[in-house]
Amino acid sequence: MRFEAEAKRALDTATARGADYADVRFGAVHDEHVEVRNGVVSGFADSESFGFSVRVLRGGAWGFASSADISDAEIDRVAAKAVEVADASAKVKGRGISLAPAGKFVDTYRTPFEIDPATVPLEDRVRYLLDVEKEVRAAKGVTVGKASIDVWRNDKTFASTEGSLIEQTILQCGSAVHALAVGNGDAQDRTFPGTCGLYQTGGYEIVRKAKLLENARRIGEEAVALLTADQCPTGDMDVVLSSDQVSLQIHESIGHALELDRVMGWEANFSGTSFATLDKLGTFRYGNDLVNVVCDMTCPLALATHGYDDEGTPARSVDLIRHGVLVGYMAGRDTAHVANVPVGGVVRSEYWGRLPMIRIGNVNLEPGNVPEEQLIGDVRSGIYMESNRSWSIDDKRLNFQFGCEIGYEIKDGKKTRMLKNPTYAGMTPAFWGACDAIGDAKSWVAWGTPNCGKGEPMQTARSSQGSSPARFRGIQVGVGYGD
Amino acid sequence: MAIDTTSGPDAIASVLSGVIAASNVDETEVIFSRSEAALTRYTRNEIHENVIEGDASLSIRAVVGKRVGVASTSRLDDRAIADTLARAASIARLSPEDPMFPGLPEGGPEPRTLAGAYDAATASASPDDRAAAVGRIAATMQHHQLHAAGFVASRCDAIAIANSKGTRRYFESTDASVNIKAIGDDSSGYAEGFARSLEQLDFDALAAIAAKKVLDGRDPEPLGPGAYTVILEPPAFREFLGYLSWAGFGAQSLDDGSSFLAGRIGDHVMGKNVTIRDDFAHPLSPGIPIDFEGMARTSVPIIEAGVAKGVVYDSYYAHKLGHANTGHALPAPNSIGPLPLNIIVEPGSYSTAELVRSVEHGVLVSRTWYIRLVDQKKMLITGMTRDGVFLIEHGVITRGLKNMRFNESIIEALGRCELASELVRSENMVLPAVRIDGFHFTSATTF
Repeated sequence: MRFEAEAKRALDTATARGADYADVRFGAVHDEHVEVRNGVVSGFADSESFGFSVRVLRGGAWGFASSADISDAEIDRVAAKAVEVADASAKVKGRGISLAPAGKFVDTYRTPFEIDPATVPLEDRVRYLLDVEKEVRAAKGVTVGKASIDVWRNDKTFASTEGSLIEQTILQCGSAVHALAVGNGDAQDRTFPGTCGLYQTGGYEIVRKAKLLENARRIGEEAVALLTADQCPTGDMDVVLSSDQVSLQIHESIGHALELDRVMGWEANFSGTSFATLDKLGTFRYGNDLVNVVCDMTCPLALATHGYDDEGTPARSVDLIRHGVLVGYMAGRDTAHVANVPVGGVVRSEYWGRLPMIRIGNVNLEPGNVPEEQLIGDVRSGIYMESNRSWSIDDKRLNFQFGCEIGYEIKDGKKTRMLKNPTYAGMTPAFWGACDAIGDAKSWVAWGTPNCGKGEPMQTARSSQGSSPARFRGIQVGVGYGD
Repeated sequence: MAIDTTSGPDAIASVLSGVIAASNVDETEVIFSRSEAALTRYTRNEIHENVIEGDASLSIRAVVGKRVGVASTSRLDDRAIADTLARAASIARLSPEDPMFPGLPEGGPEPRTLAGAYDAATASASPDDRAAAVGRIAATMQHHQLHAAGFVASRCDAIAIANSKGTRRYFESTDASVNIKAIGDDSSGYAEGFARSLEQLDFDALAAIAAKKVLDGRDPEPLGPGAYTVILEPPAFREFLGYLSWAGFGAQSLDDGSSFLAGRIGDHVMGKNVTIRDDFAHPLSPGIPIDFEGMARTSVPIIEAGVAKGVVYDSYYAHKLGHANTGHALPAPNSIGPLPLNIIVEPGSYSTAELVRSVEHGVLVSRTWYIRLVDQKKMLITGMTRDGVFLIEHGVITRGLKNMRFNESIIEALGRCELASELVRSENMVLPAVRIDGFHFTSATTF
């Protein structure tokens, strides 16, 4: 395997310096980004990054060090430094860290794909994006059109003193089109697909199926139309959310709330804690009976899918909410014992040089049995909202306020006039308790979130929230405008 | 052409010059950056995460006529650098022309030197140094029967920039920070510190401030939604300014019309007591004297006595909009345009204590959380209070409050504000506390 000799050297050095446990990660990250803005290529970059990190446990305390220099001398220095850091940690220590068993795995994993992005010439990507963006500005009144494609490849090798040696290649692709319209004293955005594009694991087929070109002009026209659309009304009413907005709702009010390190206070000063405390496990009513949520790190296409996480735990599916009741958390080896829950393969780092931590994986709301059109058809008076525009939630993940790019009034089961600046607000359990219908499997999409921030130093992770559109009764809308 | 990451500025400059000499495109820019960032994180008075992150990278911008390509690598051997140069050139040749691209910038004034930007003791601070600081914070908390979460961090960064038009720049700096969230049964408090050197941070004093907020905030009560006079302490005010500068103080948003300043340069847009500039050289600022094109950063007046004066520019937007380059480029490729990184808000005439005394019935906010832009043109934001919210009655802080959600236009708020006289650094900004009248709280949370 690649980096096998280097990994052994790092582990041997850490062990010789007194580490009780050590794991090492060597990585080669290759990112290609092409972005077009108003007819010119505004971003065209090819970045590669190589390096390694060493994590050690000594005396019940963690130490971590990393470097971009993969030389024997640097491997020795960094491994020794990680032990030195662990010794410093032990000077301000409580009960100490204990690890759940991980098992020993010698394995390889490759993201399945249909079209190798390397076979799609860069000039083809550029030409396609220019065509897409031109189509956005074909809508009269668009101020800025943008379109982008990302191809991310991460080759990594994990090894531990417990005997695991795992090599993985994770391939992720994504694309998006965006329109900005300015006028009438206002600025309005539309994005497609979804809130930030379609980002999934796989090859270039992910870009092809996003259908940017087919939707670009509509997106532009909607951005312009929003400038003169009526303002979203204020009050309590029924709301139908598009699947990508439900995805964002899941991410913020379920995903982050059920990261076990947050529950334990490990993120207290920054990302926050969670209202979903350990005493609630197994009994707390998180939402309506029809709300079932899993974290499935094996989910096909989902952006966080892999073979193993960054501490060598195999990917698996873990129940989080079953029939509306809190039944699980996303846990890592150093936290799982606290809640007596399984490790789910969700511990990940931004890249080879960062400390792995629990990250939202593929947190999926299981589909319901309601055809998408019926979600609206069963609403006498309400609002349909699509594609997130703003998102804010308190540091225990209770009080939230979200805004969408576009809304439509629902009258007697039909979408009617367009509404701008639609917002809605609520408290997490009450909101999920008000969910009375979830779209069926036909409308379910594994929406990727490529930019989830957490940790200090802050790391960006890629998560996924699979969801269908869903309906919520009696929700506060129009918040922030006219208060 | 290989780079030894421990090299000094002359050796690095020599390698960058070699890269430029080896380049076969019209113009070449090379940026080398290296960092060692250490952070000791604690919760419940214990260290639970502790890292030293080392990184280095080389980024090459190749220009062929009006075509641009960028490639970067963290491998710094001869072959990898040559490969990266070839990739950048290849991308540039594939890229369509950008008629507005002015070429790489050249000349301009010499950057100012910054005294005290580098502290050798901070650059070599050990894990034990940071653990000792955490130990002192924990001791303060234990004395008050509280616990705390936060971090102590130190770092050293170097950047070298060279281009084929003769630019050769190098800058090395250190920075240190401490973050303390003190936690009690039903209240929390916050304090933070930032400095170029670890030695300048007073861990004991900051821990005491955070602990006092917890004790003063016990048994918090809810406050109903409505418009109140608020005092935003600097960590809270900084987040407001962050959104203002990101969405409104750069040339790109001015050009596309989405900035609230578009079409309003020269107009009164805020209160006459508000003056905001971007100034890397302020003694408290963590700024660097060059931008990411190697141009000298300049001090840019953005708001003067409430009047919109201008925004920041890089070479691209300076050329496009016929304005002087202010030296605010971000690293290429950059699709969001130039941004100010060192906002300074001029102080007011009254101390923070005097501002508190001036409030008949209002709220003091220590820190905010999860602010997001709801409406860019109006600069309407929403967010939550966090880690220390207090009721002010008849000029006196009387009790803790439960956290609340706000929805507020930053621009309108700065039209009815009074700024405090004490300036502090919060992250990369230098600013005072502020009193805002008629601040809109729209809902509460349960804690």
